[in-house]
Amino acid sequence: MGNSRWPFVTAGLGLALLVWGSVWGLFYAPREVYMGDVQRIMYVHVPTAWNAMLVLTFAFACAVLSLLRGGWGWDARLEAAVEGGVVLSALLCTQGSIWARPTWGVWWDWDPRLTTTAVLLFAFAGILALRGFVDDPVKRAVWTAVAVVIAYVDVPLVYFSVRWWNSLHQLQSTPETVSRAFHWPLRINAFGVLFLMIGLVELRARLAWQRRAAESAPPLPSGVAVATGRL
Amino acid sequence: MRGVIEGGWEFVIAAYVITAVVLLGYAFSVCWRLWKAPRHDAGR
Repeated sequence: MGNSRWPFVTAGLGLALLVWGSVWGLFYAPREVYMGDVQRIMYVHVPTAWNAMLVLTFAFACAVLSLLRGGWGWDARLEAAVEGGVVLSALLCTQGSIWARPTWGVWWDWDPRLTTTAVLLFAFAGILALRGFVDDPVKRAVWTAVAVVIAYVDVPLVYFSVRWWNSLHQLQSTPETVSRAFHWPLRINAFGVLFLMIGLVELRARLAWQRRAAESAPPLPSGVAVATGRL
Repeated sequence: MRGVIEGGWEFVIAAYVITAVVLLGYAFSVCWRLWKAPRHDAGR
């Protein structure tokens, strides 16, 4: 893991894009015919959904590479991607709930899209929590990777749930299902969240790497430990 | 009843504020934890 500053630059660029796309979506994009101003939630909700699935797909790739090739780098990236995916999934459920209230009349419904997304959130949050209970770093890496491969089955279920089952949720937002007037703020925010998460996942992976290194570092001499107040 | 939603800016503002709080909070959390982490060289 390097110490270069590119993740900070990438995350900063992502934040700048998010501000630009959000201002466009809030104040310059036209009102939607049926949902009115409430539809403006789409400009943060849909990019969050796309990137939650992308980050978890990256976690899946890291899990496979960790199992096949080993190496602490893949395990560090896996931990980082799972945490990022959990944050985005939790945000996604919250945004969706806020959008559901004025459009569907309820905060939550056990509809296929919402249910599979909730399963996704709790599955990956559970993996992250269980990871903290395993002391042996080798077992922790293998078990996490296997659990992520199993939990990832839910990602395509989330994506295709609106096509496979009757759902309150509208179809996936694509250029074919979203009016051209809404494309640009949606794209800008999508790249904003993407760049932000690329930077944050890399920084979080460096943190996991540092912690792993600290685990394998030899204990400090007792005099040093006392002097630094660690005991 | 025309099937058109009127108003709703409070929901829009809530969604954007929560998004900003979560993303900025997570970014700050990652930077803070990285800054506080002990520096060692990992094995591989």
